[in-house]
Amino acid sequence: MSERHRADVLVCTCPACTKAGAQALLEALREELARRELTEEVGIVETGSRGFCYMGPIVVIQPEGILYTGVQAADIPELVEETLIKGRIVERLTYKEPSTHRAVPYYKDIPFYGKQMRVVLRNCGVINPQSIEEYIAVGGYQALGKVLTSMTPEQVIEEVKRSGLRGRGGAGFPTGRKWELTRKSPGEVKYVIANGDEGDPGAYMDRALLEGDPHSVIEGMMIGAYAIGAHEGFIYVRDEYPLAVKNVQRAIEQAREYGLLGENILGSGFDFDIKVVRGAGAFVCGEETALIASIEGRAGNPRPRPPFPAQSGLWGKPTNINNVKSWANIPVIIQRGADWYRQIGTETSKGTMIFSLVGKVQNTGLVEVPMGITLRELIYEIGGGGKNGKRVKAVQTGGPSGGCIPTFLFDLQVDYETLKQAGSIMGSGGMIVMDEDTCMVDVARYFLDFLKDESCGKCTPCREGIRHMLGILNRIRDGQGAMEDLVELEALAQVVKETSLCGLGQTAPNPVLTTLRYFRDEYEAHILRKKCPAGVCLPLVRAKCTNACPAGVDIPTYVALIARGRYAEALEVHRRRNPFALVCGRVCPAFCEAECRRGELDQPIAIRQVKRFMADHELKAPWTPPRAAKRYPEKVAVIGSGPAGLTAALRLAQKGYPVTVFEALPVAGGMLAVGIPEYRLPRDILQVEIDNIKRAGVEIRLNSALGRDFALDDLMTQQGYKAVILAVGAHKSRRLGIPGEDLPGVYPGTTFLRDIALGKAPDLKGKRVVVVGGGDVAIDAVRSSWRLGASEVHLVYRRTRAEMPARKDEVEAAEKEGVQFHFLLNPTRVLGTDRVTGIEMQRQELGEFDTSGRRRPVPVPGSEFVMEAEVLIAAIGQEPDLFWLDGTGIEARRDGTLVVGPSYSTTRTGVFAAGDAVLGPATVVQAIGQGNEVAEAVDHYLRTGKVEEVAVRPGYEVVKQIFDMEQYYKAVRPATRELPVEARRGNFSEVELCFDERTAQEECKRCLRCDLEWLEDTGLEAVPVPDRVLVIETAERKS
Amino acid sequence: MPRLKSLEELQQLRERVQSELKARTSASTVITVGMGTCGISAGAREVMYAILAELERLKIDAHVTTTGCIGMCSKEPLVDIQQGNQPRVTYGNVTPAMVPRLIEEHLVRGNVVTEWVVGRTTG
Repeated sequence: MSERHRADVLVCTCPACTKAGAQALLEALREELARRELTEEVGIVETGSRGFCYMGPIVVIQPEGILYTGVQAADIPELVEETLIKGRIVERLTYKEPSTHRAVPYYKDIPFYGKQMRVVLRNCGVINPQSIEEYIAVGGYQALGKVLTSMTPEQVIEEVKRSGLRGRGGAGFPTGRKWELTRKSPGEVKYVIANGDEGDPGAYMDRALLEGDPHSVIEGMMIGAYAIGAHEGFIYVRDEYPLAVKNVQRAIEQAREYGLLGENILGSGFDFDIKVVRGAGAFVCGEETALIASIEGRAGNPRPRPPFPAQSGLWGKPTNINNVKSWANIPVIIQRGADWYRQIGTETSKGTMIFSLVGKVQNTGLVEVPMGITLRELIYEIGGGGKNGKRVKAVQTGGPSGGCIPTFLFDLQVDYETLKQAGSIMGSGGMIVMDEDTCMVDVARYFLDFLKDESCGKCTPCREGIRHMLGILNRIRDGQGAMEDLVELEALAQVVKETSLCGLGQTAPNPVLTTLRYFRDEYEAHILRKKCPAGVCLPLVRAKCTNACPAGVDIPTYVALIARGRYAEALEVHRRRNPFALVCGRVCPAFCEAECRRGELDQPIAIRQVKRFMADHELKAPWTPPRAAKRYPEKVAVIGSGPAGLTAALRLAQKGYPVTVFEALPVAGGMLAVGIPEYRLPRDILQVEIDNIKRAGVEIRLNSALGRDFALDDLMTQQGYKAVILAVGAHKSRRLGIPGEDLPGVYPGTTFLRDIALGKAPDLKGKRVVVVGGGDVAIDAVRSSWRLGASEVHLVYRRTRAEMPARKDEVEAAEKEGVQFHFLLNPTRVLGTDRVTGIEMQRQELGEFDTSGRRRPVPVPGSEFVMEAEVLIAAIGQEPDLFWLDGTGIEARRDGTLVVGPSYSTTRTGVFAAGDAVLGPATVVQAIGQGNEVAEAVDHYLRTGKVEEVAVRPGYEVVKQIFDMEQYYKAVRPATRELPVEARRGNFSEVELCFDERTAQEECKRCLRCDLEWLEDTGLEAVPVPDRVLVIETAERKS
Repeated sequence: MPRLKSLEELQQLRERVQSELKARTSASTVITVGMGTCGISAGAREVMYAILAELERLKIDAHVTTTGCIGMCSKEPLVDIQQGNQPRVTYGNVTPAMVPRLIEEHLVRGNVVTEWVVGRTTG
């Protein structure tokens, strides 16, 4: 604004505003000012764009800063009259938010912020942290002013005590009491310290606060210093936070310039100043006595307490040390009052807590939530749940001093006491989310490795204890662990916890103790089965794909062999762990592909489809499985001829046992034959692999049902079978549990599929079919119904598409075939008198998250409506049919699955179980994996008489490969070829077509060969040649 | 800057800076770039340079400022655009390549680029 004008009118004359009439407006303005004789008082300035020119012409009146948009020459008289003469705003010309902006959700409506409450972080990300003026503008230093002018130090302490604030560094000591202790300590000189030595891996709350709102920490310290009687303060920040150091230093300088730090602050007579101390990044310096030693210029070692710093701290003077987050709470408590603050949180933990939510969670970031929020809300609602659709397994709170809390405890409230009871701690606020790809043994190992380096070494339990615990964990990771190690680990942990000098050692065992408590099965898998389920511990993991395969198929090897055209050898490698390559090449859900590392770069290798090519290519070469020369006399009976039963039978026959398989149905194959429809798995293809197994000497007796045609006792006594494997599957469909379910026209899903397979398909021509369920059986039912000529096929699922457990490509295929999907619906009644005529449906909405990490469907009352249908198929889950169970001495769980130990033995000696009968409805490849393992357990039992877990680590070969780096990088996963949709109606022809030879080979060359990750270990070396890397074989074989 | 000698002087300063800040937002465009460590490591500095260059090129006299971490670290670099005292509209995962379209659409045409927008503040 020019000095001689009382007001300036700024007119934008950018091209857009000019086009919109700025020149005419200027002329009108000049005339009007002249007419009103205002030219002396009011200036006209032509300006450039301010970024609003879509609403031009733009006029700004200074000094008030009034913005008018879309001003036309005709508006000028009113504008001059109202604004320049009367000082009023012309509403109709003010800036209005464009309508497209209004469609943007407010922060509070975004799930990430919905449950947050930003008290401490109120200014972070909002104000410019390098401007003290912006802090003052939002009310900064008002609390200080209030304290200095109207409160005694005692009143301040009382207010903080009443607020219930507890130390945000993690231990949770009441802040007000600490202040009181320091105030009451005798001595003229006292100090306050802000602890910003943030060292937990993955935690950065302190950094964000010091960077984003340094004045709130400074103001909190000033108030505390006034209450305690200190005149000097220190902010201890890690030097690896350069921006935090810079912003805090600048903030201190600005505060000094305004006289907010220094002598006689705001004329009150109170003197106070702050120094920044940069820490060198030792984790132990977060411990208060070590931090004080560090400020004093000594090595950052802790010392025994008492005396506490409140009595004898920095340079022997009473010292009050609080976390930076605790300090930042103070101005809010003073300004809004302890009563307001007390309303937030739980009985014992008041206020809010800041967490850095990191790890395997969708929305990583910093969140501030009221104390008492559940972990579930924090991780699923705010965090958005697992990354890339993976399942969350645990959350680690409190960093290396904290523990891992499993999902089944996610309803726990977040407060100091509850987390402690669960074996963890609140800590400074680090929260690391872990999913199925996280190995809990590795997590414990990681934190101990961190602490081993960070332990200052002053006390023996911490220095030596951590090292020894780490040694044990390293052994377990390497597959050298024994069960006794777990006992020793726990004992060591207890000693370190109880006898260490400071918090570092006292809490160091927490990650070990909590993982042992909640994830003991993972430790046992490493020790007993020599397996790392998450595929992290490299000595136990050949490659992520092989590790993910329930049957443990050596995928990199057979893929490499296919790449070189050696199909028979490839198939031989496959059959060592899985005799059903033709079947799995068609129906496997391919757990391997979900873990494939190439998938992290572009697309996973099409492992299932290259397997299919390999198996189909060798179709004409019948396989006679190799058998051991030695023959054993003990007869083994297998009940059920599904994938688990047949695999177990084959393995035992190969070992030299006489094996008989008893099958209730007139066909062999179990769910492979009567569950999976023919368009996915042709029967002749299945028969090839069943015949292979017969060639190993396995006898299959059809139409022989346990409990109908023979009894378990007969088998084991009269017939002389020394061992029995129950592989009866899960063929019984769950009932809907609604009225009308038994009307003709209602089919259980598994019965429906079985009838089709046995040639007794119901006549669906021209009928409306409704299938209830979201799994693979439901999809098989809709696709089969469509093939049988139903006029309309509907799938009804109570959750949404995202939660469907069915295979994604199957869902898409059903959609292409014209199946209509209805989500968030659940049947409540089947209508009809002598036949189904319709189904009453009730709408659902998604409620809270359940333990599976999915939102629970909640019925909407009064939303019922009728869906007309002649056929209803219920496919909401299956369980084993256990009508034969009574009196056998075998126990089952509530869900109908059989109780087995780790050795697959049931509650009756000599009787084992595997497959869906144990797992509940699972997948073919899981059943095959169990078939392999139960065979080992039975063999061990028959040879030694002992029932115990047997670890089998299959040997493997290394196949060399030549990589063409250029093609390697560029190659993409080929598309799946399928039968056109028109050709599928009315028949059950196979839909998916096989890769051709070239496609299969090229696809296999995309494999990253994770099995060669440690070339030296495998006896190989890489020789770079121009544009290529040649891996050459230097060792014959490694097992 | 003068030393504040009393609470009254602090209040006066507060009122003065408040009206100055209000004048800035009400009559201009304020672009705020998240420049906490999380933002910088995600490329906020490059984004800010791109914004300054684009404003210079189009001769737009908008005010560019910085702020700390607002918590959505997975969406950094975050860029807020506030105009005429209306809510701040936040864009996430902004790259220098996105800046010309962002300025063209939001500042020159007045449209929110919906596919990049994260949300808007209530205040």
